[in-house]
This record gives sequence, C-alpha cells and structure tokens, in this order.
Amino acid sequence: MSKQSFKKAVDTNLIRRLYFFIKPYRWYVVLAIGLTLSASFLGTIRPKLTQIAVDDYIANEDLQGLFEIIILLVLALIGEFILLVVNTYLTRWFGQGTLYSLRNAVFSKIQSLNVQFFDRNPIGRLITRTTSDIEALSELLSDGVVNIIGDLFRIFFILYFMFSMSWELSLVTIAVLPILFYATFWFKAKVRVAFLEVRDQIARLNSFVQEHINGMDVVQLFNREKKQLKKFEKINEDHKSAHIETIFYFSIFWPLVEVLASFAMALIVWYGGGRALMGGVTFGVLLAFIQYARQFFMPIRGLSEKFNTLQSALASSERIFNVMDTETKVEEAENPVVLRSPKGKLEFQNVWFKYNEGEGYILKDVSFVAEPGENIAIVGATGAGKTTIINILLRFYDIEKGSVKIDGTDIRELSLSDLRSHFGLVLQDNALFSGTILENITLANEEITREQVIEAAHKVEAHRFIEKLPGTYDYKLRERGASLSMGQRQLICFVRALVYNPQILILDEATSSIDSETEALVTEASERMMTGRTSIIVAHRLSTIQGADKILVMHKGEIREIGSHQELILKEDGLYKKLYELQYKEQLVS
Amino acid sequence: MVLGALFLTGANFFLVWIPVLIRQTMDEVEALSDSNYDVPDSLFQTLFSSEAGIILAENSLYLLGSVALYGVLLFATRQTLIVSSRKVEFDMRNQVLEKLMKLPQRFYAKFSSGEVYVRSTEDINKVREYYGPVIMYSINTITRAGFVITMMYLVNKELMFWALIPLPLISVFAYWITGYIHKHSTIIQEQYSVLAGQAKETFSSIRLIKAYNRIDSEQVKFERLSEGYRKKKLRLDMIESLFHPALNFLIGISLIIVIWKGGAMVIEGIITIGNIAEFLIYVAYLIWPVAALGYTTNRFQRSLASWNRIEEVLDEDVEIESSSEAQSIDLKGSIEFKNVSFKYPGSEEKVINNVSFKIEAGQNVAFVGRTGSGKTTLIQLIPRLFDPVEGTILIDGIDLKSINLDELRSLIGYVPQETFLFSDTIGENIAFGVEDASKEMIEGAAEKAQVKENILDFEKKFETILGERGITLSGGQKQRTAIARALIKNPGILIFDDSLSAVDTKTEEAILKHLRSGLSGKTTIMISHRISTIKDADIIHYLKDGSIAESGTHEELLAKNGHYTSMYNKQILEEELAEI
Repeated sequence: MSKQSFKKAVDTNLIRRLYFFIKPYRWYVVLAIGLTLSASFLGTIRPKLTQIAVDDYIANEDLQGLFEIIILLVLALIGEFILLVVNTYLTRWFGQGTLYSLRNAVFSKIQSLNVQFFDRNPIGRLITRTTSDIEALSELLSDGVVNIIGDLFRIFFILYFMFSMSWELSLVTIAVLPILFYATFWFKAKVRVAFLEVRDQIARLNSFVQEHINGMDVVQLFNREKKQLKKFEKINEDHKSAHIETIFYFSIFWPLVEVLASFAMALIVWYGGGRALMGGVTFGVLLAFIQYARQFFMPIRGLSEKFNTLQSALASSERIFNVMDTETKVEEAENPVVLRSPKGKLEFQNVWFKYNEGEGYILKDVSFVAEPGENIAIVGATGAGKTTIINILLRFYDIEKGSVKIDGTDIRELSLSDLRSHFGLVLQDNALFSGTILENITLANEEITREQVIEAAHKVEAHRFIEKLPGTYDYKLRERGASLSMGQRQLICFVRALVYNPQILILDEATSSIDSETEALVTEASERMMTGRTSIIVAHRLSTIQGADKILVMHKGEIREIGSHQELILKEDGLYKKLYELQYKEQLVS
Repeated sequence: MVLGALFLTGANFFLVWIPVLIRQTMDEVEALSDSNYDVPDSLFQTLFSSEAGIILAENSLYLLGSVALYGVLLFATRQTLIVSSRKVEFDMRNQVLEKLMKLPQRFYAKFSSGEVYVRSTEDINKVREYYGPVIMYSINTITRAGFVITMMYLVNKELMFWALIPLPLISVFAYWITGYIHKHSTIIQEQYSVLAGQAKETFSSIRLIKAYNRIDSEQVKFERLSEGYRKKKLRLDMIESLFHPALNFLIGISLIIVIWKGGAMVIEGIITIGNIAEFLIYVAYLIWPVAALGYTTNRFQRSLASWNRIEEVLDEDVEIESSSEAQSIDLKGSIEFKNVSFKYPGSEEKVINNVSFKIEAGQNVAFVGRTGSGKTTLIQLIPRLFDPVEGTILIDGIDLKSINLDELRSLIGYVPQETFLFSDTIGENIAFGVEDASKEMIEGAAEKAQVKENILDFEKKFETILGERGITLSGGQKQRTAIARALIKNPGILIFDDSLSAVDTKTEEAILKHLRSGLSGKTTIMISHRISTIKDADIIHYLKDGSIAESGTHEELLAKNGHYTSMYNKQILEEELAEI
C-alpha cells in the first residue's frame, strides 16, 4: 500500500522532469491541443449535419438546401482532414525533438560518469538507456498525451450532440457502455497475463534456436539431433499453446465489441422507432444516432489502449532519470592550474586507494618517482594493482590518501582535459573503432593533419603496412578492427598515442601472444616511442622489462621492489631475483 | 482452413442482415405513420402492446438474432483460421530445425549464425502472418464485399455506383502507404542500429575516450547520428500522419455522397430514408475490408520473400550423409591421413595442404602450432564435421566416407576448442552424448574430468542449471564439464582441441594422469598451446601454414632447435613472468 502511494509520488516527479525537456515546445503543445479540440468538433458534428439534412431538407424536398448542407459537410470533412494531418505531424515533430534532446542528454551524462560506473553496469544496459528506453517514451510524447486529450474531447462532443438531439435515445445508446467497460476490463486483464506467457515462450523458443545454431557442431558430434529435436517440439508446442490462448481472448473480445455496437444500433431502432411514431424523434435523429453509436466506440477503445503505453513509458522514464541522477565522483578543479610544456616528472607519494567502501585497499602506501625521460616497467600478478596505477594517473579515480604529482603539481589541481592531454595511452585491448584508420588515429580530432599522422606512423614503422591496405589511411576497419592482425592493431594504437606528441607514455602491454615477427616490430616500435618521453609500462614481455630504467615489482597492492634489472638480480631473496634464476635454470635444461 | 472460410462467409451473411432489418423497420415505421396509424398515448404502450410494438419487437429480435449469429460465427472464424495459422507455424518450425540439425558444418561456415537465426525465427513469423491474418482478411474482403454489393445492387443500382466510387482509392492508398511505411521502417531500424552501435563503441572504450579528451567529439558524433535518426523518423511520421486522416477523409466522402445522392433520390421518391440508413451502414462495413485488401497485398509480397529465404535453407544440400553401403566397424583406433587438403567454402586458400600422417591405435598424439596454422581444421575432419577437398582419411584402414556417420561420431569423444554448454542442468550437459546415462556414470565422468568437487559445491549439485537462467561457470569449469561430456561416452578415440587452456596446471596434471592410466589403449589426439599439456605425447606434430613442419617426441623436437624449441623457450619465460 505504501509502495503504491510512493509510486504515485514518483510519477508526478517524473512528469515534472519530463516536462523540462518538453518545455521548449510548450506553445506547440498548446497549439496541438487547440487543433485536436477543433478536429474533434468537426469530426463529431457531421452526423448532426446529416440529421439536419434529412429532417430539414430531404423531408421538405428542398434540393437546394440539401446541396448547401452537403457543402457544409464537405467543408467540415476537409477541415477535419487538414487539422488532423497538421496536428499529428506537429505532435510527432515536437515528440521527436524532445526525444532527441533527451537522448543526447542521457548520452552526455553517461559519458561524463566515472569509469567505475562502466565497470559496474553492463554495456548492454547503458545502451538500452540511450536507445530503447528513450524509444519507449516516444509513444507517450508523440501520440500519447495529445491523443488522450483528443479522445476525451471526442467523447464529450458526441455526448453533447446526442443529448442535444434526444436525451432519451442518448441514454438508450449508452446503455451498452457498462457491458463494454466490463468486457474491456476483463479482456485487458486476461490478455496481459496471456501476453506475458507468450513473451516468455517466444524468448524460450528463440533462445533454444539461437543456442542450437551456435552449438550445432556439438549436437552433431554427440549424435543428439533427434533428442534435441524432441525437446524443441515440446518447446514449440508450448509456444503454440500460448499463442492459441491469446487468440481465444481476441476471438471473444473483437466480435463482442462489434456485437455491442450492433446491439446499440438495434436498441436505437427499436426505441427510436417507437418514439418516431409518437413524434419527438425524427428519422434524421435516428440516422445521426446510428452513426454516433459507431463513432462512440472508437475513442473508448483508444483510451484503454493508450493507458497501457503510458504505464510502460513511465517505467522507462524512471530508469532514464535514475541514470541522470547518478553522481560523478571525480570533480574538476575549481581554479585549474595550467601546466605549460611539462617535463614529465611523476611522483606517487604514499598513495592509498580502494575502489569501493568496505573493500580492501587495492593500493597500499605506494610511492615512487619517475624522472623526466625515465622508463618504468611495472610487473606483478593479476590483481597486484598494476592497472590501478594507470587509472589513478589519468584520474579515472581519485585516491583516498597520499598525493600524485606531475612536475610537482598535484594532479587534482589541473583540469581533467589538461592533465590527460599530457599522456599518450595504449591500452591492453587495443581498442579500435569501426571507421577509417585515419579516424582511429585522430579520434575525430580535426586539429590533427594527415601529415602528422603519417609522420607518427613512420616513427613506429606502421606506415609500411598501412600503405599496403586498400585505400591506405582511409581503409575502413570493421568493428574492433577485426580485419587486422593483433600486431597491426597494436601498431595503430601506438600511432594514436604518438600523434598527440605527449610527454608521458602509458602502455598496458597486451598479454595475448603475437607471432615473433610482429613481436620484434612491436618491441622496436615501443622503444622508439619511449625515447625522450617518460613512460610507464605494465609489462608482460621480458624484453620490455630488461630494458627498463626502473622496475616496480608489485605484490598485493604494495611495491615490493624497485630498481633496475641489474640492481634487482643482486638482491638476496628478492622476488625478481627468484624469477630470474628460475628462468636461467630452465634455459640450461633445454 | 476450409471450415474457417465457411464460418467467415456465414458471419458476413448475417452481418448484411443488420442494415437490411434497420431499413425494414424504418420503412415500416414510416408506412405506419403515413397511414394515420392511431398511436397509443404512452411510449410504453407503443413499444409493448400495440400493432407497431409487435412490428418493432419482431424486427428488433431478428436484428439481435443476426447480430448474435454474426458474433458467434466471427468467434468461430478466429478460432479456426488464426489457430490453424499457428499450427502451420508449429510444423514449419519443426521442419526448419530438423533441417538445421542435418545440415553439415559447411553450411554454418557459409552463413553467419545471425543469418541462420533470422531465417529460422523472424522469417517464419512473417510467413505465418500470411497464413493467418492475410488469408482471413482476404476471405473477409471478398465475401463481405460480395454480400454488401449484392444488397446494394438489389436496392438501387445508381446509389450503389455512387457509394462505391471512393472505395478503390482506399485500397490503393492503403497498399501504397503500407509499402512506404515498411520501406522507411527498415531504414529507421538501420539508423537505430547505427545509433546503438555508436553508444556501444563509446561506452565500451570509455577509458580511451576519456584519456584522449574525446568526450566532446564523441558527443558530436552521437548527436549527428541522433539527428539523422530524428530526421528519418520524421519523414516516416509525415506519411503516417497522413494515413489515418486520409482514410477518415475517404470514408467521410463516401458517406457524404450517399447522403447527397440518396437524399436527392428520396426527394424524387425513388428510395426511402431507410435506404439511406442502410447504405450508410453498408459503406461503413466495406471500408475496413477494402483498406485491408491493400494492406494484405503488401504483406503478402513480404511474406513471399521470407518464404523464399526459408526455402533456401530447406533446399540446402545435406552433403555429408552416410553412404548407402555404410559399414559398421569394430574399432581399434588407428587413424591415417593420406594427402589431405582442405579449404573452407567460398575461400581459395588451402587451410590444410597435403597433410599425411598415421596414428597407431592407442597412441597419444599432439598437434601444436600458431593460431591459424590449421590445427583445429585438421582434427575437425576426423568426426566429419567437414570433408576434405582432396585426399582420404582412414580409420582402421576404412575410408571415413564408408562408415555410418552416426556410428563414426559415437566412437569419438570430442572436446571442442570453444566450450559450448547448453542452458540445461550440469548433469544433462554431461550426459549429452549417451542415452539414459545413470547417475553413477555422470558422477564418474565428472570425477575423471576433475570437476565433480566443483559441482558438488553448488547448492543443487548436478541439477544446477547453466546459462542465462542459471549460473555461469568459470572458463576452467566449463572446459572440465565438456571433458566429462566426452569421457562419459567411453569413446575409442578422444580428441582434445586446446581443452585445458583455462584449467590451472595442477588440475591439468590430475586430468592428464587419469587419461594416461584410464585410457591406455585408447587413441588420444590433443591440440594445445601449452607445452606442459603435450610434452609426454608419443608424437608431436608442429603445424605451420596448414602443413606439418616438424614431428617427433618432445626431446627429439627440442634437439632440432626449430619452431618447437622457440615456442618452448618463449613460453617458459611468459609463465614465470605471470608467476611473480
């Protein structure tokens, strides 16, 4: 019960927030309502005009008068047509406008959220928020509200005209309404349940088919064709039954609605016929009522349908505004310091960090310094905190205790875009987008010229293979660069990092094995990139590690050893030393 | 089907009686009032006791009778016609899936899984729409129009002509607009996918985008697509906003023509006002069936296209089938490849190039090599997931093609590279390849595959459901379940396609130990990237670009100091790095 009232409160709140997006169009909404009002009037006045035509002109054999009233009827019809067209398009137009700005706002909001939000929410859900949830609002914003108002106007006008002609006959006509209401109510309730079942069955059927298409080799290898087909027939049978059940409700409801409309007509003829004999009700009135009886059912049916779409639209908007209400944790500095041509010194001082409250620290008292131009390799097992260091450097997250400085300035004093512009980043998954190679390198930054890209590509020897592709730099990549080899993808990411000419390079090495030729190429390329730049590399390859100026050996969030390769192998009982000896021994064996 | 058509015809027959009876009542009332009929004083008397009352009541009862019969027959129509469309759909689904089960992997290599999926789901839906609604609407239009036009003709030919004029327009208009809407909905759907794709790319690479300060340009890109979507949608909206008003307009015109021409005829004394009422209702009855005619013609074309796509699948050759003189064998387990080459359908490149080797019964053989060197393709030829383009493969000296396919596959326990488990219980998944596996057999297989303990940790043990509606197993657990699935068959030949990659070294050792002791005498073929898995094999083949580059035992290959050795060295280093 309290949940119900809570829901109500939420709903009004939602409507208020939706209104914010409709606001720019509010005068158009008013106009649309005005148009609907006029259209409803013109639509419902026609039977009334028919009555006049019959009673005043046809009965009096006045051809001229009949012609005039026909002109009036045609004018009303044309008027209604124009109003309806304009009105429908107008509502769709501002509906789409509202959706457009809402969709962009949601996208912008999600983009601005910190990385943690993306780790916690599956990408699919975020896409749903920006696309299909917005789409669900479409019916509410485009057709919904204005049409509901239109239907109400229509009902009002029909009742008005009916009662103005004969209140007795009006009452007789609407006598079937309670049955219609009850039938609609019954139908909605039954069909809602039946539809849920149908939806489940469709999902079950489709996922069975999908699964068996994907796993067909397994089915065939294990000779399970017949058995799985039996299973499918059972699911298929359930699916069929679910549909047949809904067909049953529809087979009752639609004929019933038609029967009721005809029943109302029968009542009109019976009662009206009697009344006509006694005077008071004319044939024209009878004719008008027969038309009204048919007209009357449409807006009532429309209303009950729109109520449902309204409900689901509100559910969607609730989900959308939940995202809009999410807070961003990483905040911009109020008066950011601008860092001009940094040298690239990095300092971590006693940094403590954890991702969530109530969880253990991921970084514990981490301190190290990277001098300008130094090349630092981080090694350690999965979960040791290597990637977290990168996340913190780029301020995807803010630390809890300690400080992180670049050229002696705390990174929290810089603006986010300034800070990040000093870094060149290469991620483990070698993220590429669908689009040309050029677009992938510049990331749609128009300030970067093609020449700059080619120059950067030369530096990492990527130019050679790009040149061989059809269309060279305009070669279109498929999703995630699937048409290129792993090594080639990595080289493109290198070019991307270089083209911005950053002072600091961050490289999360790919763990996946690449063939030895490409590996040589990649190694050489990364060496070239690192000269003259401060670099931090999460290392998986021995060549990278041995060439580093400093190696950070991480273990469970702590830095256990720091030093060059030479220093570390001399350390008694050192982690790094152990590793190295192990490797040496194995090499002797082979 | 035929029954449904009869019901529908009957329903329309009774429907036509409604306006006829209304006209009759009105005419009789008019006649009564013209004949200076002595009207009773109260309405009650008029309706219930007078001569007029009897006439009214009689007509009204007929009317109600027609209405009721119409309703019942309409109900019966829906219950037969639409229900039978679901039955047709049911049969079609079974038929398509049965075919899919029979089609060789060559077919699945040719078509993307998405395409096959669309054909076996959405296309069937579209064809069903033809069988049900389209047939119903067509019969409805024809019979109803038949009855209504006959009645109109009987009443007054001239008025019939006038009343029918706008109707063909409605039909053509509905046809055109349905086509337009369909075409533009497809365009909009495409733009929608592009929009969602953009959101996906941005959100899944958010780190990169933030690091490179590209948030604003991503926003611009998205807004551009969003704007494109809005524009395309509005183009459709333009036509859609024309649809209902225009239909409404055409209906209105028909009615006005009836009142105008009919009114003139009433004045001339040719027809009665009752006839006008009758015609107004006739026209109303005809509108929707006529509009539906346009709509169904359009639908029909589309379901025809879908039907063609389904037929393509149904007509696809089942290339790999057991030959007629298939023989059964008493398996010992030797396998021989003689000059075998293979290329995938639609590709020119030979993935396997003239490969020959022999595996003795009971041997343990391993294939190594880089990704893309053809290892998986090679061993897929053994259970005949594909047939070689050239050369022959023999088991115990018999050509694979002359062995009954079902029997051949039942002899082989295969653990594929990509572990595929079904959304079913773990027990069902393990027992996948055997009829009526006992509980002991399932548990035994799970134990041998070192996955029993994990399974017993789940609350529902072997009854635990996997997949979307159930739990997700870790990569290693999945692989071990797939191994159990292969072991439970107690096959003579066991094939592991990189099936221990996600299993940690200790568990791997335990599984291998079991295989060595429990499977002595059985032929085992293994693909692995991990040296530790295969170093004890009787013979190791190193594949390079679809050919065997090196063969020998672990020691022999290391001594050669070739591909295998360099792979070995690299791996040792990587392993230690990971262990720090």
